[in-house]
Amino acid sequence: MSVIQQHNVKLAGTGPIAMVFAHGFGCDQNMWRFVAPAFEDAFRTVLFDHVGAGGSDLSAYDPEKYASLDGYADDVVELCRALDVQGGVFVGHSVSAMIGVLASKKAPELFNILVMICPSPRYINDGDYEGGFSEAQIAELLDFLDSNHMGWSQAMAPIIMGNPDQPELSDELTNSFCRTDPDIAKRFARTTFLSDNRADLVEVKARCLVIQCSEDIIAPLSVGDYVHGNLPNSELVLIEATGHCPNLSAPEATIAAIKAFL
Amino acid sequence: MNGATPASAPQETDDLEDLFENAPCGYVSTLANGRISKANRTFSTWTGYDPEQLVGRRFLELLNIAGKIYYETHFGPLLRMQGFFNEVALDVVRADGTILPVLVNAVVRRAETGGIRFIRVTVFNASDRRRYERELLEARRTAEQASSALQDLNATLEARVVERARALDRAWRLSQDLLVIAGADGVLTAVNAAWTDLLGWQASDLIGHSFEAFTHPEDLAATQAAFAGIFEAPLTQSYEYRLRHADGTYRWFAWTGALEHGEVYATGRHTTAQREQAAVLARAEDALRQSQKMEAVGQLTGGLAHDFNNLLAGISGSLELMQTRMSQGRLGDLDRYINAAQGASKRAAALTHRLLAFSRRQTLDPTPTDVNRLVTGMEEMIRRTVGPAIHIEVVGAGGLWPALIDPPQLENALLNLCINARDAMPEGGRITIETANKWLDDHAAQERELPPGQYLSLCVTDTGTGMPPEVIARAFDPFFTTKPAGQGTGLGLSMIYGFARQSGGQVRIYSEVGQGTTMCLYLPRHYGSVDPEGTLFTHSAVQRAEQDATVLIVDDEPTVRMLVTEVLEELGYTAIEAADSGAGLKVLQSNVRIDLLVTDVGLPGGMNGRQMADAGRLMRPGLKVLFITGYAENAAVGNGLLEPGMQILTKPFAIEALASRIKNLVTD
Repeated sequence: MSVIQQHNVKLAGTGPIAMVFAHGFGCDQNMWRFVAPAFEDAFRTVLFDHVGAGGSDLSAYDPEKYASLDGYADDVVELCRALDVQGGVFVGHSVSAMIGVLASKKAPELFNILVMICPSPRYINDGDYEGGFSEAQIAELLDFLDSNHMGWSQAMAPIIMGNPDQPELSDELTNSFCRTDPDIAKRFARTTFLSDNRADLVEVKARCLVIQCSEDIIAPLSVGDYVHGNLPNSELVLIEATGHCPNLSAPEATIAAIKAFL
Repeated sequence: MNGATPASAPQETDDLEDLFENAPCGYVSTLANGRISKANRTFSTWTGYDPEQLVGRRFLELLNIAGKIYYETHFGPLLRMQGFFNEVALDVVRADGTILPVLVNAVVRRAETGGIRFIRVTVFNASDRRRYERELLEARRTAEQASSALQDLNATLEARVVERARALDRAWRLSQDLLVIAGADGVLTAVNAAWTDLLGWQASDLIGHSFEAFTHPEDLAATQAAFAGIFEAPLTQSYEYRLRHADGTYRWFAWTGALEHGEVYATGRHTTAQREQAAVLARAEDALRQSQKMEAVGQLTGGLAHDFNNLLAGISGSLELMQTRMSQGRLGDLDRYINAAQGASKRAAALTHRLLAFSRRQTLDPTPTDVNRLVTGMEEMIRRTVGPAIHIEVVGAGGLWPALIDPPQLENALLNLCINARDAMPEGGRITIETANKWLDDHAAQERELPPGQYLSLCVTDTGTGMPPEVIARAFDPFFTTKPAGQGTGLGLSMIYGFARQSGGQVRIYSEVGQGTTMCLYLPRHYGSVDPEGTLFTHSAVQRAEQDATVLIVDDEPTVRMLVTEVLEELGYTAIEAADSGAGLKVLQSNVRIDLLVTDVGLPGGMNGRQMADAGRLMRPGLKVLFITGYAENAAVGNGLLEPGMQILTKPFAIEALASRIKNLVTD
């Protein structure tokens, strides 16, 4: 199976420059449904699912490889090279913002621009650094995931159900709308919430846009400031929105911020 | 119907309000940004928050940390994209910090313009369901663990079997004993390495051959029998036989074995060294016994020589003095010396008698005897012997069976027992002489080392010092005595023991130190009647015979022949002498008149006295015979069971006794 199929890649747009959208922990490329179309006129948009999420090849999931974000970054590099991406734009949500940082470090020629939506280089507080979570809270999360396998399985049930009120969405929703394998989700959570990529920020050569939501418990304002402060070449945009997903809750503002930066 | 009346409108509102507030689920409305705008009383009650406290907070703030994260990363986005989510399992943290498991449905309500009016969140209490899920989860985990354990077992089973097989193989290889499996036909099918170590055979020399091929020829029959026995019952008491070593010598092995599935499994322990040790030990024991015997013999002969020398000194001294007095013509003094010599001779005769009794080689003349009468006859003599300080009590059982014994010997034994009893009571006391009939069953008989059956007992009980066990244990040993030197020969009890055993009976001692002693003689019952005449000796005066008779006297000892000839002449009979059995038989086979044969039992000339007498009786049926015997030949004369017309007299004898016997036989 090619890397294209493995990642359930969806290509659109006709522009000369590739714009790669990477989803974060918890969903799949559907996250970009309100944002990506806005760039199809000017860019060649690339949407994909990380291995273990959405319509990706679940059999390719290797717990050892994906125990660190490097595994995901290697996939991005491989995928982009397969698609002949050069000097492109990488849009990463949440943990994928850091995956983009790692990928661009591995293959600087791929991206000239990194757009980071609600990024966090480290979720756990560390001395003066405010990641937003105490060590105990992350331990509680991981314990909870370990001991509530079935509960979370039940929680995922509606995700794969159709939507009878909107029959035009039903097929899409039934098959892949934020579909997540609970066991893989658990591992992805561990990889994500234990990651620490603060030291990688200073090495980023690309121009960076950091989009921060005003009220995000996963990536609080202090984190946005930290990221912006440590990237050599970045711009910080604060969007008035609650939650961790402005691409869904405030798509217009998000599009506007990106377009302005580009 | 005109629809709702104006008056009913407030009522309807109240009703709906009540429905909302007290619904069986929590209702929460939030704004587009997730902040709570309204919550019903049910939710407020469940969570412990006042409705006012809830308004303005984000719904996800009420969740635990995992719920917050998953809401932000999963359910929030889902709601945005899909417009609703159903049955999401979350944990609400109550005001008091406790957890309320809930199932949450959420739906986005949009205005006609498309904008979000509010988000309706419905919360179901899922405590029961979550508990049920936990139980299911636990059950599944248990099942998975069991399944995993089973898989592990399956995976390791083969390895365990292999390891077990290796362990058994090691036990088989390393055993120091011979291990073998053989077919029902005795053909060996498997042997261990010990066969090579102990017998020098390789497995290939053995397998396919029967054990018989390696068995010592002398052991073959017994070994075949032992092998056959395994088919009846496992061989647990080891059976020993010899197996041939490859070098041709034989080794001893002690085998045990059992049958299973038609094959014999056996183990053989090498016992050659053990047997050699046992043989060495046995030889050492033999040597020790021999030396003890020689010591005893030395003691005996030494003691005898001493006693006999004393007696001989008395006799020869008397004879010398008689010779002196005769040469001096002082014939009046002769009687003293004759009496002295006779006394010494009698003591010597008594001594040899006791020796023979102890050696159980005395010549017994068993007669059916009424023991009660014998005891009664002895009572006066015993009383005089033990003296006035001791009270004698005789308890004779009524209906006492007769015994088949030699009466003078029993009298002697009884007297001896009473003398011992007296010596045990220096301060005086009581002697009880008791007779009884005894039935000895298997157990009682075995205890007394006798055949089971009917016996009568003669017990002598004293009230004396008693004997400790170590004295009882040696009481019958010859020359063992507790009396001061010179007061006892140590032969008394051993003589009684010899007499009892020779008579087919037993002696037992029951004694307590300080309490007294009971000595019991067990004598075999005689099935028959007792001669009412009694058996006590009556010594009639020697009288000359009133008729002519010819007596053949056969003895190799000339002095005995001379003595007997003189007695015969005294009696007026004609004597013919022969010095051995050949000469005697020649006379018997001739036509010479013979009224009586007097013969020694032990004779030179090829026959003993009995055989000569029997040969003579072929020619002379009813020939009367008197055997005179020293010792040892009582078997030859039928252990006292003589044919009619035959009698026995033990040397040494009083001349009177000989004359009386001869006269009775000739005239009978």
